[in-house]
Amino acid sequence: MKPPRFEYFAPRTLDDALALLAARGDRAKVLAGGQSLIPLLNFRLAQPEALIDINRIGGLDQVRTDNGGLAIGALTRLSAAERSETIRQRAPIVVEACHLIGHLPIRHRGTVGGNLAHADPASELPAVMVALEAELVVARGGSTRRVSAEQFFVGPLSTSIESGELLTDVRVPALPPRTGSAFVEMARRAGDFALVGVAALITLDGSGRCGRARITLCGVGPTPIRARAAEEALVGQALAGAVIEEAATRAAAATHPPSDVHGSADFRKRLAGHFTRQAIERAAERARGM
Amino acid sequence: MAQTTQISFTVNGIRHELSVEPRWLLVDVIREQLGLTGTHIGCEHGVCGTCTVMVNGETARSCLMLAVSADGAEILTVEGLAAGEGLHPLQEAFREAQGLQCGFCTPGMLMLAHELLRDNPAPTEQDIREAMAANLCRCTGYQGILQAVALAAGRPATPAGTR
Amino acid sequence: MATVERQWIGKDVPRLEDPKLLAGRATYTDDVRLPGMLHAAVLRSPHPHARIKRIDTSRARALAGVFAVVTGEDAKELTNPLPAFCAEPVVQYALAVDRVRFVGEAVAAVAAVDRYTAEDATALIDVEYEPLPVVTDPFEAMKPTTAKLHDPLPSNLAFEKTLTFGDVAGDFASADRVVRRKLRWHRASAQPLETAGAVCRYDPVSQRMDVWSNTNMINFVGWLIAGTLKVPASKLNIHPMYVGGSFGSKHVLGKVIGIAGMLAKRAGRPVKFMEDRVDNLLASENLACDRFYDAELAVTRDGIFKSIRIHVVDDYGAYFQFGHGTHGNALAQVTGPYRMASFEYTVQCVLTNKCQQGVFRGAGSDAGNFCLERLVDGAAQELGMDPVEIRRRNFIAPDRFPFKTPCGNIYDSGNYPAVLDKALEMADLAGLRRLQADARKQGRYIGVGIATAQQRSVYGPTEFWFWYDSPGLTSAPESVGLSLGPTGEFIVTMFSPFWGNSPETVVAQTLAEEFGIDPAQVTVTYEDSQHGLPGAGPGGSRMTVMLTGAVVGAARKLKDKLAKIAAHHFEAAPEDIVFANGRAAVRGAPDKSLPYNELGLKAYWFKLDLPAGTESGLEARHTYDHPYLTKPSADRKDLGAFYPMMGHGVHVPVVEVEPETGRVRFLRYVAVHDVGTIVNPKSLRGQITGGITQGIGMALYEESAYDGDGQPLTGSFMDYLLPTAMEVPAFEIGHVETPSPFTEYGVKGGGEGGRMIAPAAIASAVEDALAPLGVRVSELPLTPERIVALADAARAR
Repeated sequence: MKPPRFEYFAPRTLDDALALLAARGDRAKVLAGGQSLIPLLNFRLAQPEALIDINRIGGLDQVRTDNGGLAIGALTRLSAAERSETIRQRAPIVVEACHLIGHLPIRHRGTVGGNLAHADPASELPAVMVALEAELVVARGGSTRRVSAEQFFVGPLSTSIESGELLTDVRVPALPPRTGSAFVEMARRAGDFALVGVAALITLDGSGRCGRARITLCGVGPTPIRARAAEEALVGQALAGAVIEEAATRAAAATHPPSDVHGSADFRKRLAGHFTRQAIERAAERARGM
Repeated sequence: MAQTTQISFTVNGIRHELSVEPRWLLVDVIREQLGLTGTHIGCEHGVCGTCTVMVNGETARSCLMLAVSADGAEILTVEGLAAGEGLHPLQEAFREAQGLQCGFCTPGMLMLAHELLRDNPAPTEQDIREAMAANLCRCTGYQGILQAVALAAGRPATPAGTR
Repeated sequence: MATVERQWIGKDVPRLEDPKLLAGRATYTDDVRLPGMLHAAVLRSPHPHARIKRIDTSRARALAGVFAVVTGEDAKELTNPLPAFCAEPVVQYALAVDRVRFVGEAVAAVAAVDRYTAEDATALIDVEYEPLPVVTDPFEAMKPTTAKLHDPLPSNLAFEKTLTFGDVAGDFASADRVVRRKLRWHRASAQPLETAGAVCRYDPVSQRMDVWSNTNMINFVGWLIAGTLKVPASKLNIHPMYVGGSFGSKHVLGKVIGIAGMLAKRAGRPVKFMEDRVDNLLASENLACDRFYDAELAVTRDGIFKSIRIHVVDDYGAYFQFGHGTHGNALAQVTGPYRMASFEYTVQCVLTNKCQQGVFRGAGSDAGNFCLERLVDGAAQELGMDPVEIRRRNFIAPDRFPFKTPCGNIYDSGNYPAVLDKALEMADLAGLRRLQADARKQGRYIGVGIATAQQRSVYGPTEFWFWYDSPGLTSAPESVGLSLGPTGEFIVTMFSPFWGNSPETVVAQTLAEEFGIDPAQVTVTYEDSQHGLPGAGPGGSRMTVMLTGAVVGAARKLKDKLAKIAAHHFEAAPEDIVFANGRAAVRGAPDKSLPYNELGLKAYWFKLDLPAGTESGLEARHTYDHPYLTKPSADRKDLGAFYPMMGHGVHVPVVEVEPETGRVRFLRYVAVHDVGTIVNPKSLRGQITGGITQGIGMALYEESAYDGDGQPLTGSFMDYLLPTAMEVPAFEIGHVETPSPFTEYGVKGGGEGGRMIAPAAIASAVEDALAPLGVRVSELPLTPERIVALADAARAR
């Protein structure tokens, strides 16, 4: 299981990387952490003509505050994100989700940007970014553009990054006050991809009812699924029993899960309801504790 | 003609300059070009962790790294743990607790334990279990491994040749 | 149960193997480097069944760095078919000849300067296939109308036989109730972390073939490998390697050795072929039984087991490599620890388009235990009896050993009530039942499982052939060499490889016990096959018994000589010389003693001081044969003793099951094993926890799955799920020791028991947890989806 041959480039600046990407287009693949790409190379499921290693580019691994929210550089290692006090204070759901990604050695190499750009439907961070209503900053020679997370993920292993473009950072907006968050998932083993994962952000209003809800699921469709109908069941309501149950039911109904050796579509749909309920309960409890 | 790249890195304190194909995996360069066969290959898709080494002070699966990515890095393999003739206290703890049987996963497990105890010198049982769950063992059922790490946690590590 | 106090046997001696392994200095097969060595990669079939119409290797040959490319045509010329442990004419070569019969079957192989280039070359090989009908369901496959996988066979039903012992019909007729279960023991894979591999170096002038491989049996069936490689057996030398786990999957390795050997011959250079993980998952020798049981237990209304009738269909995949030895294996203990006087066993071995079975820890008795213990739990349910008490009621009593089972196998010793009592005490069964009751009130599902089962050790080779009318091999020896040098240092030479068990430690402890020395002073070496004595190697939990026997035998010979030399020196009688504390002494006269180094010096350098007729030197070799193996009767009504060192174990797992999600969590896991006299308690405990963890894998996570079109579904470690440290509990292990009357020190083998008992116990626990719903477990693995489905189905009834 050895990689096929490829041309290798290790540009030291973003401009150089973008020039290479522009020149090679779809025949090039970007190497960030390599934790998703290199297995594909070892299996020879990916056979790029050129590999653009972006790890030498300075300045892409910064985590800063940004208008009360966050700007997370694409090369931020997942273990650094997991340990980042800045991220924990402004978007603790990112820390919670990172902890569930693989195991520590994988997180030491894997990057936030690489994880998002790989867009595995069972991956945690894409769902989290959609729930956070984050924007992804994509650069091409001479310009950048921002894409909402929801529009960024287009299909399984497929994003709206176009030929010649590179994801450079992620902008997470500030969370409203009294917002509790939770990420829950079920996997076959600790560290495995989720069978189903749910990101929930619950904002309470002055009377303790749900003022705003954002719920996104992973592992149950070709992309993360933002369960808007489920959110609508919660807004304006007291967060208890039947209300949460209704939201869970609606979330499950919104899924289009795959079937594979780890679980059928029906089973995943069922889990979607169960874990949506759990995620809402946990997020609401955390919001109340604030 | 295959494209080759010049890289250099330090392994167990010794600096190497090598000419490598970009596609060569770090584990293969460590084993073949450097002859350090203590690091083993288990799956080549990043699940078993048998190939774990330390790169710049952090554990990494060397089957998921290209050697060229390690240019300029400081690498620690199992051969670098013990100084001279004896065993590192961590290796002694594994011996005492019988945290190994066939020995194939052991170098990788030692790397995990080495990082854990350096960053968390007083780990709880759950901390140990979670950290060691990163790597697979097919022989021990993990009990001896967890006991070994707990045993080592009670002993200070000597600094010889390690990071 | 008073145990004899010994100096070294029974102590937690640190393993001799460990320092080298810990330092990363052991040489495994992939660590072998020879000058000019090439690396191989294999092209595998994407079709489950197809004729090979044409293979064009020209582009691969033209690639720079490629030295040789071989296909099935070369296999026919350069090799013989692989050894098969059965009589049926099922022919398998290391590379597919004319036809592929499973996805992943090797079709061509390349030797190149490195593995990268070899893989590049395999992508340049063009193969034209003509797909043939695919059969994956053994019940379809066995029909006479289904297309055959092997033309010489009358059908895909490669073998079938019924063996009947005792008055089965009468026992069933007089029973008050017949408990019937259809059970499924699915296919799993040994998956050691080190894959199988071989380095072959061939000298065409002398016809000498050197093989470095993690194969077993190098001094037992090495001559079979010679046959495969078409070299004279006397010119074959197999070098033992450190092996990164095997669990049964590395006994022969004809495929990897054949491929490396073929390429070495063609390339004129040494060739290494190491399976990668995909090779190992798809096409190795590591797949276990794949069985469909329809089984009946005849019981009285008081819960006494009278008889058992088993019908089993076993899906062997595309080739019949180890034959039905895994059913012979099951026969060793098919009636378990219970007193039944009769049984009937019908086996149908079927071929399908999947990789062939090899053998995996438990080797058929794991499946047999599952079948029996599920029936026993079923009997308890149907009779409204307590599952623990129904077992106790049927145990063979401690004063009935050696016990002869209905088919003739012997159980050498045992005390099943004591093991059960210890397990229940450790578990605090009453406390667990209270915990369970409280949990049920809270709507939680906690289950306590029980399995009381046998774990046979030290296999007899008759299990492969007593199914046929004609006899087969009856040897299963193990040898050691022993020398005491002029410096007083002992060297033990072994003739079988290290698998991750603790053979070096076992021989050192035994030698230490025999001579009164420190085991840390013993040096252990391994010998290759050209210099080897017979040794069948690890497998069937035999090594502890066989190595202690071989060491004791060699020690006896050496002591004989030492006693003569010492007696001559002290003018005493040789029978009055005792060996303790590093010295040979006259009994009762401790001042008349010599340390071993002085005796060594005498023996090697002072010939004229030795008694007349004594040769210089201090060496002994001993071949220890199976201590209790007897032939089956001609009519096969008595199969003889073939697996008589019979251990026993009781497992009590405690689980919590979530019927909504199907998640299973271990709260506790108690296991008490009786494997006779224990040599190294820590080492045994490691074998048990490792075996149970594989059993947890079998019960909850692992499956070698194929879809209906013969495509493998678990071709990577992302899909074939091995348990991590987070999936296993903190095991609570207890021991009972009923020594064997037939072995040295009374030892038995204990390497397989964990995996042989755990699946049955875990099935019992999950079923117990979901008992309020009326769930019955008859199939593994109990994945979350399967548990949810079981709960749903039970609720719907």
